[in-house]
Amino acid sequence: MMYARYGGQHRVDKPFRLLARAARYGRSLLRPAIVAAVWTILATAAKLVAPLVLRSGIDKGVTAGDLRFVFGATGVFLIVLGLQYLTQRLSTYQVAAVGETYLRDLRVRVFRHLINLDMGFFAKSKVGVLVSRMTSDVEALTQFVDQGAISVITSLLMVTGVTVAMFFVDVALAWTVLALLPALLVVSIIFRRYADRAYQAIREQIGQVLGALQEGISGVRVVQAYTQERRQAVEFGRVNEEYFKANLQAAKAIASYFPAVDFLATVGTALILLVGGRRVIEGTMSFGSLVAFLLYLSYFFEPIVQLSNVYNLLQAALAALSKLFGILDTRPKVAEPADPVPLPELVRGAFSFEHVTFGYDPEVPIVVDIDLEIDPGERIAIVGETGAGKSTLAKLAVRFYDPDEGQVTLDSVDLRRLAFQDLRRHVAMVPQEGFLFSGSLRDNLRFARPDATDEELWAVLEAAGMADWVRSLPERLDTEVRERGSRFSSGERQLVALVRALVADPTVIVLDEATSNLDPETEGKVEAALDRLLSGRTAIVIAHRLRTVKRADRVVVLDGGRIAEQGPPDALLAAGGAYARLYDVWERRGRDSGEIADHV
Amino acid sequence: MTGRPVSALTDPTVRAGLRLLGRTLLRYRKASALSIVSALLWMAMVATVPYLTKVVIDRAIEGSNADLLPPLVGIVIAAGALKALGIGGRRFFAFSLSYRAETEMRNRLFEHMQRLAFSFHDRTATGELMARASSDLSQVRLIFAMLPITIANVSLTIIVVVTLIVLDPILGVVASLSVPGLFLLANRYATKILGVSWEVQQRLADLSRVVEEVIAGVRVVKSYGQEEQVIGRLAKAADRIFKRTMEMLRLRSSHVPAFEMIPALATAAVLAIGGYRVVQGAMTLGDFVAFTQYLTVLVFPLRITGWFFAELPRSAAAAARVTELLKTAPEITSPKQPIPLPEGRGEVRFSHVSFSYPDGPGVLRDVNVVIPAGTSVALVGPTGSGKTTLAYLVPRFYDPDEGAVLLDGVDVRKVDIEELRAAVALVFEEPFLFSATIRENIAFGNPGASDEQIRLAARLAQAHDFIVELPDGYDTVVGERGYSLSGGQRQRIALARAILRDPRVLILDDATSSVDAVTEEQITEALRKVMEGRTTIIIAHRMSTLMLAERVLLLDEGRIVASGTHEELLATSDRYRQVLAETGVIDEVAP
Repeated sequence: MMYARYGGQHRVDKPFRLLARAARYGRSLLRPAIVAAVWTILATAAKLVAPLVLRSGIDKGVTAGDLRFVFGATGVFLIVLGLQYLTQRLSTYQVAAVGETYLRDLRVRVFRHLINLDMGFFAKSKVGVLVSRMTSDVEALTQFVDQGAISVITSLLMVTGVTVAMFFVDVALAWTVLALLPALLVVSIIFRRYADRAYQAIREQIGQVLGALQEGISGVRVVQAYTQERRQAVEFGRVNEEYFKANLQAAKAIASYFPAVDFLATVGTALILLVGGRRVIEGTMSFGSLVAFLLYLSYFFEPIVQLSNVYNLLQAALAALSKLFGILDTRPKVAEPADPVPLPELVRGAFSFEHVTFGYDPEVPIVVDIDLEIDPGERIAIVGETGAGKSTLAKLAVRFYDPDEGQVTLDSVDLRRLAFQDLRRHVAMVPQEGFLFSGSLRDNLRFARPDATDEELWAVLEAAGMADWVRSLPERLDTEVRERGSRFSSGERQLVALVRALVADPTVIVLDEATSNLDPETEGKVEAALDRLLSGRTAIVIAHRLRTVKRADRVVVLDGGRIAEQGPPDALLAAGGAYARLYDVWERRGRDSGEIADHV
Repeated sequence: MTGRPVSALTDPTVRAGLRLLGRTLLRYRKASALSIVSALLWMAMVATVPYLTKVVIDRAIEGSNADLLPPLVGIVIAAGALKALGIGGRRFFAFSLSYRAETEMRNRLFEHMQRLAFSFHDRTATGELMARASSDLSQVRLIFAMLPITIANVSLTIIVVVTLIVLDPILGVVASLSVPGLFLLANRYATKILGVSWEVQQRLADLSRVVEEVIAGVRVVKSYGQEEQVIGRLAKAADRIFKRTMEMLRLRSSHVPAFEMIPALATAAVLAIGGYRVVQGAMTLGDFVAFTQYLTVLVFPLRITGWFFAELPRSAAAAARVTELLKTAPEITSPKQPIPLPEGRGEVRFSHVSFSYPDGPGVLRDVNVVIPAGTSVALVGPTGSGKTTLAYLVPRFYDPDEGAVLLDGVDVRKVDIEELRAAVALVFEEPFLFSATIRENIAFGNPGASDEQIRLAARLAQAHDFIVELPDGYDTVVGERGYSLSGGQRQRIALARAILRDPRVLILDDATSSVDAVTEEQITEALRKVMEGRTTIIIAHRMSTLMLAERVLLLDEGRIVASGTHEELLATSDRYRQVLAETGVIDEVAP
């Protein structure tokens, strides 16, 4: 479905199983939940008692002509009111507090699970969908908790309480009022059915409208260039009209339901007057009971209307729950071992691929039987065409994926047997584009080591030749990099990302070199920082620049997922094989465009 | 996002918004009148039913006249039926009126936005325009939905107060005290809670940014094993939402129960004072019951009214923002008496053209150049030299401050825009595809084009081959919500779209993003074919496209500083070589 972000289906299977599971997550909140329940019961009771006080005030005071009793009853009535206010206040607050705490914890729980899923999951998922899990889905739950939960609880309590109270006051009259209940239920159910359909349509149409709007605005230049303004407006009008129609459907449902309920309530009043009035005249019921009944009648109708309103929120909340549980049910494909092998204090950085075969779809292997031993401190350049398996090899090296066959080892230990903390501490990947998080430059530099001090950061910046640049920024380390680092140029972002890697100080570095064009000055700085980063470390570089390849200790040429040839760059060039052919193309293109292509 | 809540109705922008509200009401006067009439019918019946109850009690029950019960109760039911009719009519007419108004205003906004010139869209964020046409309009709609009931509520309140005082002056005055109390409380609550809920919305937006960023940067997070760090960030954002929400809940839990308390306190007064008056014989039991009923009847209307007056300034402010946007005049419009474009093959002449963006420095200074019909030029220059601006003056995306742009000898400002833009087609740097089929995207400028013509254009643009490989061929849905194409593929579809217009002048804003060699070759090949014999202006970022043009114009600081073939300039102009190196068009410069 298009615009799934805005609209979509709201029906779920097995709502009770969902709710039971949701309740299990809230076990730690049992105590405050009980407190909330107690306040709510007390509040309902207080509300139900008030008409009874009024009744006796009328019967024993007003109609009996006993003024002292009238004033006494008023006093009691006021006390009951005070209690009602207090308990209602506590109940409203406590119920919501439980719900909000639950949601905050659920949000963190889902996010924790999500962020620990494997890279394969993220590659498959759309960012927008994952974001909406954490935002609009939790919002749907919040809405229910804020506006729905309390009404559901109090409404159910109230309907039950009022029924009991009415029978307590007068059995025959209670039956008369209850006779209206079937009619009320039928009307409510019919309304739900219509309203459900209408709201479903509204959700879909609002998505279409927002989508069309967004596209109309972001594509406005093309529209004007091709003078299609009128056609666009007509098409938008059509989408907009559908949304209007959906709303009108809902308006019709609402405009029929509420009058029907209201009319039933009037019929209830009429019945009480007719039946109760006759009983009062006959002397079989007191006048105060009649008044109490009139009050109870309003208490009786209100919650049923409320429930009917909340139903929609409940549906949305259940749908959201099932989506959130969907994330919690996704198991990470790359998992931490139960009993990891500890690494020695001093990690040498010997790295090897041993007969590694892997494909995102196991039927279609991307890298096949890769056997590669890398000495501590050696610099390897991986080259090859697009699709040769270079980035896949890099991802296997940092355990974003696990090989289907063979193993990847650090100092002879299979990566799958290492604790994540050890693995990430020693093997780090520097992705192509310098992705920065919003926040200060300092936070970004020490991202990998949040406890790094400013002195350490400056030392690394000096070493990378970046200290002057940071000093030239008005707020130095406190400079806000803004969203995605938009404060800086793409070259500067790359530089910051390289320094970030230096601060992390990994033993083995896996570098996916950037392909984008840089101005010559930044280019020089990047070269320097790169050199600083790679020297003295085991390095696996997916190379896109001729200069980087030339400086490698060893070049590995991948072709169709296999190692085609390997050796020192000069030797390979002399040998005149695959590398020599690639080199030729780069040389030619390099003169034109300053960058080397992935393609031959 | 709607802006921060405002509370002053005296604010001048708010007044402008109120005028829009008023005008719209007049425009839909039939529905407005019907909804108000229904609301008043409802109001009259709401005021009547408790009185009828009193009559039933006094005449039938207290008078012990059981025969009077059925007819009197029949009247109660009849009044109830009228009341229901009033509710239904009020809701239906108010809702349909409000949605009709919202829909029309959204159409108007959309149409207007489509007509506003590039300069407007340059300085206005998409999100802002989205907010105008969605959340602001919903806020405006609220007023139309609530206005009839508010009118009825206010009259109901007045009538009830009058009735209470007529029934029993002393008790009436005492009980009526609950009216201002309830209204003030409701209004205060609504104002406060709108403020806090605005804060909650802001914190929610913060959280959504955190999630979006972390997921976009998940590779970095995992590379450095910093999952816990980002979970901490999220937890902090979630906690901020929690705190704000709890603040909102505290407000709710202290105010909402009070809404019930105020009429209940009045009921206590009725019990004490009313009981006293009944015992004294100054008041009937029916009056007593009517009093309690009238008090319950008022709770909901007063709450809604309090809410209405808290929302009103916000809605007026939203309406003001909408008005402001609608009032922004399109800067570029067709002349009243356009002259037809003469026959020609697309000679483009810039005559003493100067241009600057509002509040910005001059972008173009006295540019004089002729591009002979059927020839191609490449515009080269450092970032900000005015290349794109110069090209955009031809289809009148902007108008020059001084001088004129002539197409086949006619000032482009004198030609009808539709005719002009049909003669000048443009491929943007970021090719924009609509969420529609490839066929529709190519035929965007020629909705009536035949399949054959579309295929021909796609072939010319070297796009046909990859299109037929796609799952649904020409029917593949692309764009933001469809199949994702590579940058090179999108560019070729945009090129096909331009070719299909068969323009006199073709303008190519070359993409800067790097494409692989094969794609580059294909694009170059496509361009070579398309450019044959057609006036073409290329804004070049790449050597391969630069080489396609017969002539190069070097722009620097808004002036043309050199022109000639690529080879000539390479040999004679230091600045040219320098610019090429700086912009990364070429790597090293041969002396």
